[in-house]
Amino acid sequence: MAQKSWQLSRRELIRGGGAALALPLLNGMSWGRAAAGKDLPKRMVVSYISYGVYEPKSEKGAHHDWSWWPCKDPGPLTFNKSAAPFEPLKDSVSYLRGLDHAGGYALGGHSSGDVFATGADMVNKEKTNNISIDQLAAKVNGHKTRYASLVMGTEGGTGSYGNCKTLSHYGPGRPIPSLHKPQDIFNRIFKPYAGKSIEEVRAELKREASVLDLMLENSKSMKNRLGKDDQGKLDEYLESIRALEQRVERTSKWTQTPLPEVDSKGLKLDAPLRDPVDYTRCMYDLLYLALQTDSTRYASFMLESESSTQNEVGKFASFALGYSGQTHDIAHKRPHESGLWDNWRAQQHAYFLKRLRDTKEGDGNMLDRTVVLWGSSHPHGSHDTKNYPIHLAGGNALGFKHGKLHAFEGNKKVPLANLFVSMLNAVDVPTEKFADSTGKMTEVLA
Amino acid sequence: MPDMKRFVIAVVAVIATCGQMLSADIPPGPEGFKSRVAPFFKEHCVTCHGPEKNKGKITLHAIDGDISTGREVERWEQILKALKSGEMPPEDRKQPDEAQRKEMVEWIEVGLRDSIAKSGMVVTVPTARRLTNFEYQNTMRDLLGFKLNLIKNLPEDPVKPYKFNNTAEYMLLGPEQLDRYLENARRAMASAIVDPGVPKIHKSEMKWQARATDVGLGSNELGVYGNRRGTPATGMGVKSWPTTGEYRVRVKASAILPPGTTELPLRLVMGYNLNQNLAMLQMEPVGTAYLRNDKEHSQVFEFRGRIENYPVEPGIVGKDGKPGPPSLHITPQNLYDDGTLNDDLSFQKPRNVLLPRAVIDSIEFEAPLVDVWPPEHHTRILFDSPLRKSDPKAYVREVLKRFISRAYRRPATEEDVNHFAKIYAIVSDKLETLEAAMRETLSMVLISPQFLCHTVSEDNSLRQYELASKLSYFLWGSMPDDELMRLAAQNRLDDPAVIETQVRRLLADPRSRDFIDNFTTQWVSIDKLKSVKINTALFPRFLYLVPAGERKGTEEPYRPTIRDYMHDETVAFVAELIRRNAGVSNVVDSDFACLNVPLAAHYGVEGVTGHELRPVAIKPEHHLGGLLTHGSVLVGNSTGSAPHPIYRAVWLREAILGEEVKPPPAEVPALSDTAGDAAEKAVSIKDLLRKHRQNESCNACHARLDPWGIPFEQYNAIGKYQPKVPAASVKMVRGFDKKIDMDLAGYSTYLNRINTVPVQADSEVPRGPKIDGMEQLKAFLLKDRIDDIGENVLRRLLTYGIGRELTYRDRVEIEKLHQQSKQNNYKLQDMIVTICQSPTFRDFQTKPKGK
Repeated sequence: MAQKSWQLSRRELIRGGGAALALPLLNGMSWGRAAAGKDLPKRMVVSYISYGVYEPKSEKGAHHDWSWWPCKDPGPLTFNKSAAPFEPLKDSVSYLRGLDHAGGYALGGHSSGDVFATGADMVNKEKTNNISIDQLAAKVNGHKTRYASLVMGTEGGTGSYGNCKTLSHYGPGRPIPSLHKPQDIFNRIFKPYAGKSIEEVRAELKREASVLDLMLENSKSMKNRLGKDDQGKLDEYLESIRALEQRVERTSKWTQTPLPEVDSKGLKLDAPLRDPVDYTRCMYDLLYLALQTDSTRYASFMLESESSTQNEVGKFASFALGYSGQTHDIAHKRPHESGLWDNWRAQQHAYFLKRLRDTKEGDGNMLDRTVVLWGSSHPHGSHDTKNYPIHLAGGNALGFKHGKLHAFEGNKKVPLANLFVSMLNAVDVPTEKFADSTGKMTEVLA
Repeated sequence: MPDMKRFVIAVVAVIATCGQMLSADIPPGPEGFKSRVAPFFKEHCVTCHGPEKNKGKITLHAIDGDISTGREVERWEQILKALKSGEMPPEDRKQPDEAQRKEMVEWIEVGLRDSIAKSGMVVTVPTARRLTNFEYQNTMRDLLGFKLNLIKNLPEDPVKPYKFNNTAEYMLLGPEQLDRYLENARRAMASAIVDPGVPKIHKSEMKWQARATDVGLGSNELGVYGNRRGTPATGMGVKSWPTTGEYRVRVKASAILPPGTTELPLRLVMGYNLNQNLAMLQMEPVGTAYLRNDKEHSQVFEFRGRIENYPVEPGIVGKDGKPGPPSLHITPQNLYDDGTLNDDLSFQKPRNVLLPRAVIDSIEFEAPLVDVWPPEHHTRILFDSPLRKSDPKAYVREVLKRFISRAYRRPATEEDVNHFAKIYAIVSDKLETLEAAMRETLSMVLISPQFLCHTVSEDNSLRQYELASKLSYFLWGSMPDDELMRLAAQNRLDDPAVIETQVRRLLADPRSRDFIDNFTTQWVSIDKLKSVKINTALFPRFLYLVPAGERKGTEEPYRPTIRDYMHDETVAFVAELIRRNAGVSNVVDSDFACLNVPLAAHYGVEGVTGHELRPVAIKPEHHLGGLLTHGSVLVGNSTGSAPHPIYRAVWLREAILGEEVKPPPAEVPALSDTAGDAAEKAVSIKDLLRKHRQNESCNACHARLDPWGIPFEQYNAIGKYQPKVPAASVKMVRGFDKKIDMDLAGYSTYLNRINTVPVQADSEVPRGPKIDGMEQLKAFLLKDRIDDIGENVLRRLLTYGIGRELTYRDRVEIEKLHQQSKQNNYKLQDMIVTICQSPTFRDFQTKPKGK
């Protein structure tokens, strides 16, 4: 399968277009408006693993050593073999059982990943997907950092309906392509001016702003000549042009703030997919650096999509563990490697969480101010779309309380979107409702 | 538009008359509802669709009996459909007699028509929408005069089974999309407008000498399975290349064709070096030559294309941390395929010598081509004119005017030109050359809503140009050409005769192939074909697998395979039906199929030569004909190991009969769970389904679904006719095992030994006869359901053509088109003509008229 290139070099464009603009209108990220105030940042990360997790039933009531769930009963966490990597982070993690998006029920296991971060009802109410939580947060608070959000994936692009390769959606029917090439991500975040001087960049941005302004004017006059129903449709266009304008504005403003000095040394930016440990860690490192430099506060990371069978990401389990089939097959066949695979994924995620925890910030550490969701909307191999594996970490300083396994089953069932509301509130998005939420999730709040 | 108005009135009058005529039995309106309809519902429907139960979330005990209020028309449409098709009441319930059923149907139809007449004929849904990526790509091609692959840089368009994505609700626009459009526009303009002065020309050449090697293939030969290093199999590294421009590749080649073979398709691809056993290499085809000449008569084949479209392989990062130089590679591929490629996967084995071989003398690369300089695509925009020197401002305005008029698909207004002249002034301040400033200015034209969107003007002033676009985007997926624009300027596109000539002209143009591919792929929903994981142990010959290395056991990703041909087969078949103006019955059954050698080998049709698809006459013993037995349909709706009667049933009802099949409810248990222990004993899928149906919650839907899929059981997971299956005593069919079977013939012997029982392919479709197998299914469809199929194809074409979902308000017009088409045996080309002449297609006013 030919991999789509999402890293069209801007330098190339500029060269080709005479001295056209070096406008860093970056994919999946936008410029912050003003420097962060004295308040410490509040951050949110959503990440996704695919093809479900191992949920074996053990005999005689014991908890299975290799179940993805760390322990059997709700209450304080104990860690089995599979979840062991999170043991050192005990006070910063929670496991939540029985949560899901009703909107994903009818999508089927391999498509429900589309709505993990959106909770949209793609089959019935909405024909298209809807805004994701990271993007809602970015809309509200994205102006505080250089980039409103960072959208990462291992496969890149948007994928198509039912095969999303991104978690982030700008709004109905507008997926945001995920970035998957480490070097590309590094350049976009830390070297956005592509070697140009600040003065050059500013002059170009100024011109760009006046051109976009004229474009907006042009479209408005066109709108008035359209039929009534069509006028509404043109608003999408106007909104998009305005968004580009805003980005230009932000970019200009942020040229006043020096870029963070980040050295790519120590980052394996050329890590191949065939080396999943190096590659995944490099991606996590970039995510960490983006947060640490306060380049952005909201990020999504699709660690695997639900349709990776046609590319190398679908073979991570083979590359990492020597498993003989596709990662997808692990979910169906559930060989003894299943637990090892879950454990491998846990190791990578724990690596990221630890980096956050080990970085001081204010009185605490970065993890305390970053709430991280990690899970899947495809619980196990049977293509079921209920009761997701959900792992929540960090944000202790944002109001979260950890260390327990919570069960939301039977009459305790609530929508996963309730957690989303609480996550959004924790990062200063004052919303009462998200997707099909019915309230907040007080169980995980201090 | 006085004629339109007259038409509307005429239709309404006809309906009114019909209404009185038909409703003689049941009084129309609420009165009839009270006296006859409500009691009918009470007797036949309310038990399941009422206060107690609400199957399918439909209740009828409290429905509004006055259809004409328009409040519950969608519901009434559903009821009408269910009654008309006989789907309801279910077979195991008490049935109304036919007269009663007919009365009900008529009463509802009259009510619906009244409702439509009352609310006005014109559908008020937005039709403004952005171009689909497919339309965008084609439009850029036709606007610029060369093809750039821009689609890869755009977020993917949504794809939903059996739905067309060219509607307003799917074609949304956001900042990301616009950002990508801007990138694309700049990229396109960088290619379209060249800098003054003839550029440096890059050339590379490679020659191969004939020498014997130890693997039987000469050192200038290319076998199906490749050859050694240093032979043409490893291709040619391009020494240097420009970033933009047209390239030319020449290959001097001939073929060694064993007896019985007539040609060898030699394809050249360019991009990464493919001699690496990796799964993620990138390349794009350069072109395919069909070699029929022998060694003594080498020929030169020439291909041209745009260098921008080819992926350059990034250099490998060295120990110093710096990337090495990038590379570009041309690789020739011997695409000969007789369906047995997977039998032997090594170039060292004798079959590589026994199959056709290409002899390649040389490959030459040159770019950019400067025979005409500046190139035509440049002078089309920056044309030669004394104005450029004498009055630069006027020149700029003229350039803008010409370009905008094409990009907007309508003449540029003074205002448009002013607008972009302003932008030009801003950008030319910094960008010194006219070329650079024009690139940037025209890039902005390419992100204007007038370029990116289909819109409808309020005052009808642009109606003719909008009609031209409607026609070209329907039948080409691209912008109108000069002839359509001229007719629009002459105000002639409302003339039915002109429309007819234009539709036939557009369909005869090769660009119509884009439409047919895009339309067919979505209509018949054949995308699934590629993603089904084929069980290669059970079907060892079907795919062409990589023999070793990282990609071992996976389907060869860098050459077209049988599944690509299957996709092409379906598209070519529909194209041929339209070309021939054949009737819709061919969708069910036809006396020809579109095949090439690999497909013919797969289906077991003898005597087909050549790798390009062509219509081939078929016989009954081939068990082909129509769309139902296409590999694209059968493989896409299988599990990869076994046929899947439910997928196939859903496909038949959705794609062919035009019914909407609801997805299974979320709480639905898996097939094997419901059959419980019985599953162990169920020997056939048919039995398994029967047991599934015994579960009451499953039965409601499956009773209407399964029977349609069972006759497909005669075709296996890879779409081959296979009438016999293992007897009940065979617990498991094992896959091909070299140790046991020795070779494929041995495996085939094993299969023949165990496949002894005729497959159970008999079922009874709802309110239909008993059907045994595909042939009887086809016969039944042709006899009893052809009108449904005709209407379905008509609706699909119309939906695609107008870019919106049809609603109940379109009923009257569709009925009219349907009757017209029916009297003409549903001839497909004619059907497209009538669609384009119809008011539904032409009248895209977005608000009710005559207020």
